[in-house]
Amino acid sequence: MSVSADRAGETGGPAPEEGVDRTATPARVRPKRDWGLLVGLPLFVLATLAGWAIWRQTAGLDEIETRALDWATVRELTWEHIVLTVVSALLVVLVAVPLGVLLTRPGVRRLTGPVVGVANIGQAAPSIGLVVLLAMWLGFGFRTMVVALTVYAVLPVLQNTITGLLGVDRGLLEAARGMGMSKGNILLRVELPLAVPVIMSGVRTALILLVGTATFATFIDAGGLGELIDTGIKLFRYSILISGALLVALLALLIDWVGRVLEAVVRPKGL
Amino acid sequence: MWEFLTQRWADVAYRAFQHTSLVVQSVALATVVALLLAVLVVGVGRLRGVANTVSAIGLTIPSFALLGLVIPLVGIGTTPSIVIVTFYATLPILRNAVVGLDGVDDALLESARGMGMSPLASLLRVRLPLAWPVIVTGLRVSTQMSMGVAAIAAYALGPGLGGYIYTGLSQIGGANALNYALVGTVGVVLLALVLDGLLVVLARLTTSRGIRA
Repeated sequence: MSVSADRAGETGGPAPEEGVDRTATPARVRPKRDWGLLVGLPLFVLATLAGWAIWRQTAGLDEIETRALDWATVRELTWEHIVLTVVSALLVVLVAVPLGVLLTRPGVRRLTGPVVGVANIGQAAPSIGLVVLLAMWLGFGFRTMVVALTVYAVLPVLQNTITGLLGVDRGLLEAARGMGMSKGNILLRVELPLAVPVIMSGVRTALILLVGTATFATFIDAGGLGELIDTGIKLFRYSILISGALLVALLALLIDWVGRVLEAVVRPKGL
Repeated sequence: MWEFLTQRWADVAYRAFQHTSLVVQSVALATVVALLLAVLVVGVGRLRGVANTVSAIGLTIPSFALLGLVIPLVGIGTTPSIVIVTFYATLPILRNAVVGLDGVDDALLESARGMGMSPLASLLRVRLPLAWPVIVTGLRVSTQMSMGVAAIAAYALGPGLGGYIYTGLSQIGGANALNYALVGTVGVVLLALVLDGLLVVLARLTTSRGIRA
């Protein structure tokens, strides 16, 4: 199963958290900014959120619903969800980028295929299964969830780091060497900056995977907005269920937007 | 573990079959929908941006959230599984189909027209066959994704191996919890690998001989 070249680049963009994200889009990073999404997305999210807030204030909710959708609760769950996502995203980058750099160094490069292959097979595991199995091993709670999320979202960033680094023009490396740059300098000042757009597209994919998978945190007592969905299904209260689903979806869109902005901001000026 | 498997072999096999059947049927449905949409999108240029945006945003929505939105509409059981698996499966195929159909050389289409082919004939006999390898790649992405989405959708009492994972979760601490979760998770991985292998074969068989690598 394959990181075959035919996959790369055929489909762009992130996948839902059940990623198996072969879509990790190496090599096809559209330079064109999609201004409609960049401006429209946050507006849409804010408008929908405002609509929900008005509904929440005015709807005649019963006691259970009122308690589940208490403002403080919702705020706390949202915050937990964001923390889970952001902490794991940072860890993913801290793990995946150095690993990608290592795997593209001469001598180690032979390992690239096998490592990515194994990671790909692992990625076929359903996220919920990974969360449950890790919880059995490491116990419930925030830390386990962060581990599960990090493991789950490493692949797209790793894969894109490798693709990005291998995609750097050999001629440029030669030129850098000719200018007397050291290996470390070449890596930091030529290779990585040139690979940033591809890496960032992997980070965006990872963010989407993370914010979606974080909904399962509630199953192992690690908080997050998944709790509202879970409660809604268990108690069969559509108001709680839909509120939870809506808030998670909005948060995912917002995180996607942050990813898009980051992508635009981090891109080195010369590119 | 071994005992667990031998004791429940029939049930495990049945769930594996259900899981596969759900994914295959949903992806098949998704393929039809995606191809029709793609033809429409490629025909009407202005829809292209819309299609891109929809598939980008669609893939952003977490599947557990979509499940939550779908349950009030269709209840619990098999239906929500079909709905959300089909929804996610459509997006990569649509995207790839648009890219593939767009990628066909204009000169070829012109020749087709010059040979007197109707637009439909040119679509069916030139465009689709040439775009097919890209479309199948989308199909593989979709199938992989669907295996996992189907597992998640089992939370609403849908069919398939996902049920084992949730059983394992609810029985944590119990004797068989680990077995349930392991069989569910590993089963999905194995099925995904097998299906992907089959799709690779299918791709080869269905790719027009002229462009076969």
